[in-house]
Amino acid sequence: MSGASGGLAAPVRVKRGKLSKRKKGKRVGFTLDMTPLVDITFLLLTFFMFTTTMAAPQVMEMSIPPESVPIEVKENELLTLRLRNDGKLFWNMANDEPKPVSIKDVRKIAETENLRPEVLNKLITVFKVSEDAKYGEMIGVLDELNLAEIKISDVISQKKDSEGNPEKRKRRFTLAPLDTADVNLIKGL
Amino acid sequence: MPKVKKKRLSFVIDMTPLVDITFLLLTFFMFTAKFKTEAESQQKFFIQRPKVTADTSKIPDRNIAIVKIAIRDTVDGVVVNDTTYNYELVNESDRQQVWASLEGLPEKMKAKPMLENISLDMLSTVIRNTRITNPRTMFAIDADRRVRYKWVWDAMEVMRKNRATIFNYVTEKKSGL
Repeated sequence: MSGASGGLAAPVRVKRGKLSKRKKGKRVGFTLDMTPLVDITFLLLTFFMFTTTMAAPQVMEMSIPPESVPIEVKENELLTLRLRNDGKLFWNMANDEPKPVSIKDVRKIAETENLRPEVLNKLITVFKVSEDAKYGEMIGVLDELNLAEIKISDVISQKKDSEGNPEKRKRRFTLAPLDTADVNLIKGL
Repeated sequence: MPKVKKKRLSFVIDMTPLVDITFLLLTFFMFTAKFKTEAESQQKFFIQRPKVTADTSKIPDRNIAIVKIAIRDTVDGVVVNDTTYNYELVNESDRQQVWASLEGLPEKMKAKPMLENISLDMLSTVIRNTRITNPRTMFAIDADRRVRYKWVWDAMEVMRKNRATIFNYVTEKKSGL
């Protein structure tokens, strides 16, 4: 066994000079045939590349009240959003006339209405969805409401309660079915 | 006499950088790979999830039951083009217990990882039994964005009745901004 053959064996020092009989050429570098390694690696790489799905599904959390008990809400603290079967969206405060609104503007409305000082942290958003509306549209509106929450809870947390702790966001929004009265209200708009 | 050119028989390419990069990519894909669950690989329908803005909350891998509301073109080979309820329970041990507890479930459905095309009554029973078997189970609604809201609302009512009041909507990230 020659001294330079393996990395595992303890290195044997070969004295160069008069004592060593055979002069060994110093190995500067060595080549290793990496082709099989590359073959296998590419095979695995392509396998993983094709089996991976990049867009992992995400979730939107939702909580509903356990029983549908009617809750008393002051009229001026109620923001109603109605989604009609044809995908048109309407909004109104309290008992105002419903006004059509596009999904993109929901965020702005939710922010302005929620941040009015007299109803801050008291406003309840009721989202009434027609049975025939598309589920995707309803999620789109919920998404906008969730985006509005960022600013709303930020403003609320800057206020301090009696003990000096930042105030917590209390009410968010609830889902409700669109009943006949609602349908008539937004008919022809 | 002209010089005879020696033909090159072999040559060597230094493959080290190639291997470096390949291994880097390989490890990246290996660690990010997420494999389909048993039920997903056998699933015969495709759900177009609603698209929302990016959120960091990902769907959990364990202790989750998914109510899938899908538009199916065929049920058992018959063209229907209708909405169906399907129920998937990810934990295998829970699944065996819950599936076994269901009365009136055909034998061939018991072997499957997902209950396909079930009625609302069956959905109610299966949700109740899931909650009895493993109270920590979280629920998710994975519905097609094209289905009528009524289908989702009915499923939510069933969940409410069985006191599964906190659940998740499975969504997809909107591409772009």
